[in-house]
Amino acid sequence: MINFGFSINKPRTIDIDRNNLRKSNEIMHEMPELQTCIGCGTCTATCTAGNLTEFNFRKVHTLVRRGEYQGAYVEMNKCMLCGKCRLLCPRGINTRGVVMLIKRKLGDF
Amino acid sequence: MTFFAKFCIPFIIGTVSLFAIVLIKYISWLRDLPKSDLKLIIKGIPTHRTLTAIVEVVSESLLHRRIFRVNPLLGYMHMSLAFGWFLLIAVGWIETIAYLGFEWIPLQGHVFFKYFVPLNGITEHKPLFDFVMDFLLLFVLSGVALAWFKRMRSRAMGMKRTTKHTTFDRIALSSLWFIFPIRLLAESITAAIYGGGGFLTGGIGTLLSSMIDVNILTALYEPIWWLYSLALGTFFVAMPFSRYMHIFTEIPLIFLRHYRLKPEDKEKSYDNFEVEACSRCGICIDPCQLQLQLGINDVQSVYFLRDRRYNMLQQKIANNCLMCGRCEQTCPVGINLNTLRLNSRTSMRNIPNEGRYSYLRGLDRSEGEGQVGYFAGCMTLLTPNTMTSMQRIFEAAHEKVWWADKDGGVCCGRPLRLTGETDSAQKMVDYNKALFAKHNITTLVTSCPICLRVLREEYNLEGIEVLHHSEYILRLMRQGRLRVRYSSEQSFTYHDPCELGRGSGIYEEPRAVIEAIGQLLETEHNRKNAFCCGSSVANTAINDGQQLTIAQHVAAELDSTGAKTVVTACPQCKKAIVRGSKLKVMDLSEIVAQNLH
Amino acid sequence: MKHVIIIGGGIAGMQCACTLADRGIAATIIEKEADLGGKIRSWHVLFPTFTSADEVLSAARRRLAQAENVTIRTGCEATKLTPKRVTLSTGEELECDAVVIATGFTLFDARLKEEYGYGIYDNVVTSADLEHMFNKGEVRLSSGQAPRRIALLHCVGSRDEKVCQRHCSKVCCVTGVKQAIELKKMFPTADVFNFYMDIRMFGPGYEEMYREAQLAHNVHFVRGRISEVSPTIDNRLQIKAEDTLTGRPLKMGIDMLVLLVGMRSNDWNTSLEAECGLKCQPSGFMQPKDSFLGNVESNVEGIFYAGTVTAPKNIGESINEGTAAALAAAEWISK
Repeated sequence: MINFGFSINKPRTIDIDRNNLRKSNEIMHEMPELQTCIGCGTCTATCTAGNLTEFNFRKVHTLVRRGEYQGAYVEMNKCMLCGKCRLLCPRGINTRGVVMLIKRKLGDF
Repeated sequence: MTFFAKFCIPFIIGTVSLFAIVLIKYISWLRDLPKSDLKLIIKGIPTHRTLTAIVEVVSESLLHRRIFRVNPLLGYMHMSLAFGWFLLIAVGWIETIAYLGFEWIPLQGHVFFKYFVPLNGITEHKPLFDFVMDFLLLFVLSGVALAWFKRMRSRAMGMKRTTKHTTFDRIALSSLWFIFPIRLLAESITAAIYGGGGFLTGGIGTLLSSMIDVNILTALYEPIWWLYSLALGTFFVAMPFSRYMHIFTEIPLIFLRHYRLKPEDKEKSYDNFEVEACSRCGICIDPCQLQLQLGINDVQSVYFLRDRRYNMLQQKIANNCLMCGRCEQTCPVGINLNTLRLNSRTSMRNIPNEGRYSYLRGLDRSEGEGQVGYFAGCMTLLTPNTMTSMQRIFEAAHEKVWWADKDGGVCCGRPLRLTGETDSAQKMVDYNKALFAKHNITTLVTSCPICLRVLREEYNLEGIEVLHHSEYILRLMRQGRLRVRYSSEQSFTYHDPCELGRGSGIYEEPRAVIEAIGQLLETEHNRKNAFCCGSSVANTAINDGQQLTIAQHVAAELDSTGAKTVVTACPQCKKAIVRGSKLKVMDLSEIVAQNLH
Repeated sequence: MKHVIIIGGGIAGMQCACTLADRGIAATIIEKEADLGGKIRSWHVLFPTFTSADEVLSAARRRLAQAENVTIRTGCEATKLTPKRVTLSTGEELECDAVVIATGFTLFDARLKEEYGYGIYDNVVTSADLEHMFNKGEVRLSSGQAPRRIALLHCVGSRDEKVCQRHCSKVCCVTGVKQAIELKKMFPTADVFNFYMDIRMFGPGYEEMYREAQLAHNVHFVRGRISEVSPTIDNRLQIKAEDTLTGRPLKMGIDMLVLLVGMRSNDWNTSLEAECGLKCQPSGFMQPKDSFLGNVESNVEGIFYAGTVTAPKNIGESINEGTAAALAAAEWISK
């Protein structure tokens, strides 16, 4: 390969046609209530970890639902599982369960 | 004298296999014990602990004292089977000695003594032994009858639900059910042919000989003893693989427990003794709120231990538990159900990761200065009434306070521990420990019982006393630093948070505080029997609707006391009960702050 | 003469009584408060036209005063009812030919959302409290100063599983925009921020008002729900939210927080279900016979509904239902 001296960036677009949604569908199957997220951001606003480091629970799980899995496991590992988000979520989503589920589906175990 | 007949073979095979397997299990479990546990055992043997263990073996393994406390009939059933069978064996032994003197007789000779008596020409009749043996057989048979009855109507024995069994359990159970009725028949037929026997076997024997032709009885003689031997053999073969392994496991367990062995965060060999000591009696099913209020009936401790024992434990079973401790409270074997579940979760989910939570380094968002530190806990930040009330209490007592996490801190680590990620949780423990040390506090007050437990059990904070705010407030009141108004007009009911009550043994402090302010009306389920609010961080399996259903049940009980206000001492419980209660729900600190002198 | 009892003397009940009177039917209004008018009494101006609430209420009062055969019973409640008989809290029993239930709604108790600090911190108020201040002509902080930065939070007690209020209260979004404009008119130099999950501008003129708030009044809209409120050392409030459009947590010091509280069903609805055979919806609001062809009828013949007793509605819709329920009752009586 010829080295042009630069690399091509990862495409910006979330390409649903090319993304493999199998894992995403599995996750939604196990935790159907995740589909009810209205993206209000309460979870991220209250997040103990998200106030200390760059971690956005809402964004990570939304990307996972769209089939964008890269980095999700590492991101979810920043969560302390303290449970504040679960106390506040207006949709009653089992957010701690979501963190564990995503880690289980997209991690090494 | 010969003490062998062909029909003894199934029994001999069963006995040999039983003892071989049990021995292999004991040896491999003991061999794999960590060194520290072995040391405890060696140190413990020559002490009084051995004696107290023996006493407990008699009172629990034979008499089943703790099951009596659950329900007398259920206790009697277990006692008649265990103690009765034990006595049958023991008295049988004495009987053979009485007839034959001290002479070595093979095992089957003792067990099938009634069969061998006429063969060996023993004609001397000892009515006392006949009576005692028949009486004991009747005692055991009454237990068997109750077991049959329990299968059909468990409610009469104080149990709404009983365990669903595995195949080995069914084989063992069925053979166990047949052993004693067949023994009765075999001994009666023997008595019918050869005479002898006590009031029971002799009585039935006389009846049989008067009704049935001797030739038929003689034809039945061998087959019935075969059947008895087969039933025993089948039971013994199935036993180590079935729930009846508990009979042999509970005894060493009691000794090990007296030598202070206990399960820990991570699985270890000692756990085998606890896991296999479970008799699957199913007493843990009824108190479980997942069953009681949500109708989930395949995740309870009995099923968790079963699945773990047979290596078929799934995350969805391990995770679906409130860890409220209600089952642990009633377990007649005293198994550490929560710790075992926790270390199962750890085995499934713990992945050491050095880089995790590296973002905590150098962080300090605390404020204020004082000897007393206040760690609100993440959840308390969402119940600001508690925060402001604590502030007023501190001010009233003229306490200088260092606020660890007023503007958001780092989680105590318990929620993560409870999901099994023990090593990562340690990072938060280490961070907070360093933070407390840096600020030179001597007392640490927290409003969150979840934090309290981990602060007390895992932090090893030397030189820092950890208090729940209920203990702290009561101490201030007793020292005269805090004075509250009493009014009999005010009536409260109190919800025991699991982590505070069963978890940390704090039942009376909050009650003493409440009673200093107004009247306390107790719920039906209080203290050790208190319900869980349903929002426990230990459960990541149930959904919001299910949490709400539990909360509504709990709230209904609180509302029915007739009190005007519900008081609790945990932010999580408060948030849960508010969803279901028609009454005002307040934290303990709020009622104190509102009634300050 | 035929006689209809109307339970609830809010705007829907008043309209219902006037319509019945026009058709020559006697009406009795049972009102638990000392005065008619219901929730509108405490409102200042109405969206989207900024018409004075008083103007609407006075017109209704005038019509009612001119109507014949309308009896008004204030300060008492109905305890039990059948289509032919209503029992009052005084013990009296009134005979009638039909009943219209126009008991409206209950405002959500913002103290249940403890994390927002209502009843704990100064200067956290509800939309209803703010209307009260508008009516007095003075919006002030507890210190007496004028607020310089105000946040309005949408969906407090609506669309929230955690307080068991799953439904959308419909009018809070537009109320929030209206109140933001009023605040800006009062304090032109103040910053006003609306925190929302979704903005639902469903009615005529609403979307235009939303645009006007942004364009003419420079009201800021942040898409994110506030998670919690805490006090600051200088006695202000700090709010936390996620600015979901940028994906980053946001915190902000403010002087005043307005909670746009939603509409909740009345507690009384459950006893209507238990004792009168009427049906409730899962939200607790009463269930009309049919959501297309029987909006103002109940599942019991001779009992009718008007206004927000069946679902959150705006004032115009409630007035229309007052008329519709009166006509439906009149028709049923004449059968």
